[in-house]
Amino acid sequence: MTIEVSGGRRGLTDPVIAATILAAIPDQPLETQRKMNYFVTPRGRRLNEYEVLCCYTQPTPDWIPGGLDWGDWTQKFHGGRPSWSNESTELHSTDWHKHRDPAFRWHALYVKDKAEEWRYTDRFLKAYSADGHVRSIDPVWRDEVLGDYLGAFGFSEYGLFNSHSSVVRDCLGDTLRMSSAMIGLDKVDNAQMIQAERTFLAKLVPGFDESTDVPKNEWTKGSIYKGARETVEEIWQGTYDWNEILFSGHMVYDPLFGQFVRREFFLRLSAYYGDNLTPFFINQMQLYHSQTKGITTDMFHTCLADDPAFGDYNKRLLRAWSDKWLPRTVNALKDFMGIFAKIPEIKGVTSKDAIEAALERVFDDWKRDYADPIGYKVDTAALIKTVLTGLK
Amino acid sequence: MAISTATKAATDALAVNRAPVSVGAQEVHRWLQSFTWDFDKNRTKYSTKYKMANDTKEQFKLIAKEYARMESVKDERQFGSLQDVLTRVDAANRVHPKWNESMKVISNFLEVGEYNAIAATGMLWDSATAPEQKNGYLGQVMDEIRHTNQCGYINYYFAKQGQDAAGHNDARRTRAIGPLWKGMKRVFSDGFISGDAVECSINLQLVGEACFTNPLIVAVTEWASANGDEMTPTVFLSIETDELRHMANGYQTVVSIANDEAASKYLNTDLNNAFWTQQKYFTPVLGMMFEYGSHFKVEPWVKTWNRWVYEDWGGIWIGRLGKYGVESPASLRDAKKDAYWAHHDLFMIAYALWPTGFFRLTLPTAEEAEWYEANYPGWYDMYGKVYEEWRARGCEDPDSGFLPLQWFIENNHPIYIDRVSQVPFCPSYSKGASTLRVLEFNGKKHSFSDQWGERMWLTEPERYECQNIFEQYEGRELSEVIAEGHGLRSDGKTLISQPHTNKDGRLWTIDDIKKIGCVFSDPLKAL
Repeated sequence: MTIEVSGGRRGLTDPVIAATILAAIPDQPLETQRKMNYFVTPRGRRLNEYEVLCCYTQPTPDWIPGGLDWGDWTQKFHGGRPSWSNESTELHSTDWHKHRDPAFRWHALYVKDKAEEWRYTDRFLKAYSADGHVRSIDPVWRDEVLGDYLGAFGFSEYGLFNSHSSVVRDCLGDTLRMSSAMIGLDKVDNAQMIQAERTFLAKLVPGFDESTDVPKNEWTKGSIYKGARETVEEIWQGTYDWNEILFSGHMVYDPLFGQFVRREFFLRLSAYYGDNLTPFFINQMQLYHSQTKGITTDMFHTCLADDPAFGDYNKRLLRAWSDKWLPRTVNALKDFMGIFAKIPEIKGVTSKDAIEAALERVFDDWKRDYADPIGYKVDTAALIKTVLTGLK
Repeated sequence: MAISTATKAATDALAVNRAPVSVGAQEVHRWLQSFTWDFDKNRTKYSTKYKMANDTKEQFKLIAKEYARMESVKDERQFGSLQDVLTRVDAANRVHPKWNESMKVISNFLEVGEYNAIAATGMLWDSATAPEQKNGYLGQVMDEIRHTNQCGYINYYFAKQGQDAAGHNDARRTRAIGPLWKGMKRVFSDGFISGDAVECSINLQLVGEACFTNPLIVAVTEWASANGDEMTPTVFLSIETDELRHMANGYQTVVSIANDEAASKYLNTDLNNAFWTQQKYFTPVLGMMFEYGSHFKVEPWVKTWNRWVYEDWGGIWIGRLGKYGVESPASLRDAKKDAYWAHHDLFMIAYALWPTGFFRLTLPTAEEAEWYEANYPGWYDMYGKVYEEWRARGCEDPDSGFLPLQWFIENNHPIYIDRVSQVPFCPSYSKGASTLRVLEFNGKKHSFSDQWGERMWLTEPERYECQNIFEQYEGRELSEVIAEGHGLRSDGKTLISQPHTNKDGRLWTIDDIKKIGCVFSDPLKAL
């Protein structure tokens, strides 16, 4: 037969071609090692699919710790700056390929989860609207808090999302890069969910303003988010070290400011104002926060703070970064306290004692989960006292 | 608590209509452009000589959750096929051995491009100012992660289920040994991520994706299928559905800079450099993988190249951008010459250096030689005769002690590496357009094979300082290099690479190579 195949004939199904192929195939497999990436050190007992599909996709040379390649870059930036380089971060590692997403999510698993959340969101909103729940929301909470201040918080999430762009470009490992992209996408998803909630309310409540004008004005010119905006701008565009961007955003600002705003303000208070819509969205954000926390604590605690050669140095630097970013975050929270003057007071819920208790929960969580593992000494009571001075 | 007017209106509306209401992706996306704000430090961390417009729109208007839904549906189809029917029919063991070897390279090298494109589009996401344009690049960041995983899945699948797992199972480690790797890094890694952000976009989206992914991801599926491989079409065609978004991103990048004065000065030069960069590697390598890496042929590579690269891309796609001042690259004519012979030249060198690969290569059979001569008249006199000589000297037999590299040395045909593209060439035995140019800079000699790369180097030599494999391995004995690069199978002695796919042929071991005593030398030092 001719070896040129035309007309879309397929080797698997065309009997003549298939016979030729089968005759050429060895009687026994030529290799017994069938596990791809068998040389990778697994995080668990066995190499899993995530590690097979993600590990060592980054072609860095061995002078970037963990790299398997050799030599120089084949093309550099104008002026000769290398494609990737150790000096892109102040932190040191013996292996930039060590990080693992604790959930072992490669792309297919990540989008599968989010796709399910989208389908469920659609079903939930239909049921919510048909049930007429919207009638029970306090008008001030709905029009001012959700319309303006939740909308403004969307800019915080959007700014944090954008802080991941240079991380995705510059970081030195494959699993780091994929995790950074995913937690970045979760942040823009949060911003979009906030807008989705506002658009949804506009469809149910005649006159509700879904436009981003007022929230943007609040974010850029208002006093309540002033400290947050300045911190987010500095994380997004004022910081070049990709590790510092991730650390400042996910290990200081978001676990304190983000957690207070999402969990202790919108999520905790919404039920008191007849709002059972916002918790639906905020709970998704909290899921993302929890997954992100797993990822970033693996990056900074498991991999870098416990690095066999550079652990002590890394912890010192992480503490220095905490010193830099904690006051800004505290200031952001202090400014945010102004929001309590905008809502109808509910004794024991929005009064000072309740706010202080909420702050204690957030700061205690942060101390236990973020500060203690790197040996960062912090007086949370003093920080809370500072934050509370922002109450009007 | 008082009932506001709005609440009353909402209550009244419900009384009339209780139909379920939700929010669509487009209803959210239409607000996206307003998500950003101005502040002092709001500028990119990656400089570009172009200015991207603030109001640039994206063509694929997705939000995060809708993106996930769309990709998840595609994944279900793809992984369903792979894990169900293709496994049940033992499809991985019904692939022609030559093609099984080609997929070790094609899938892994495409993975490199996809992986680096994550970083590349991260840079573009940072560089763009318009939120919609950022969103388009973000979608691509996620796509590239998907494609990286998908390409890995091909090697994973073939390793787990196929006839020769070696090379599939460790390509990410062993790929760095041989002569094709550095060139791959130039086009698919550093070319995408190191430079002016828009220049990188032109490399990645306007040339890499709009031009070469068509033959690389689409045409390859026909070759795969003809040779019994249904896994690759299942995965690669799913990848290609995302590539449309990437081509749109490239198009929008050009649109975003169209009114910038810098575009009229630099855009066509950057496009020409990007095209030459990409074609210099892909034209010979893809042609080689298709024609020499298959038993059943679909059509001569030169025809595929002419249709996808010359007519579709150089004519139609670039033609559409003509209104923005974009012209077909001046180097397209020289590339067309390469499309005829360059892959034959490259195969000859790749086969000569076969022990450094992570795959098995096969010399053309008699019927394949006929096919080459019929489609490339003059092929036999230049290549066929030499392959007959190599075969007669026992190049496939470990007992022969003959490596084809010796033929190049005996006949005084030195092999050089082009400094800019990192593609090997043999100027004294080549039908392609390669000509040797040697320049000295900072006490070091650099070889070039064409004027376009030489021009790039002359303009910015500091960007192209990478050592080539002959400089790196100089003075090292071949078996040492292979062992150090993990080029051995799990028995610790048989080479992953082999010079044949004959099922009855003996496999070469590291001892067979050691006996030959082949030591690397740098040809530039002899000049």
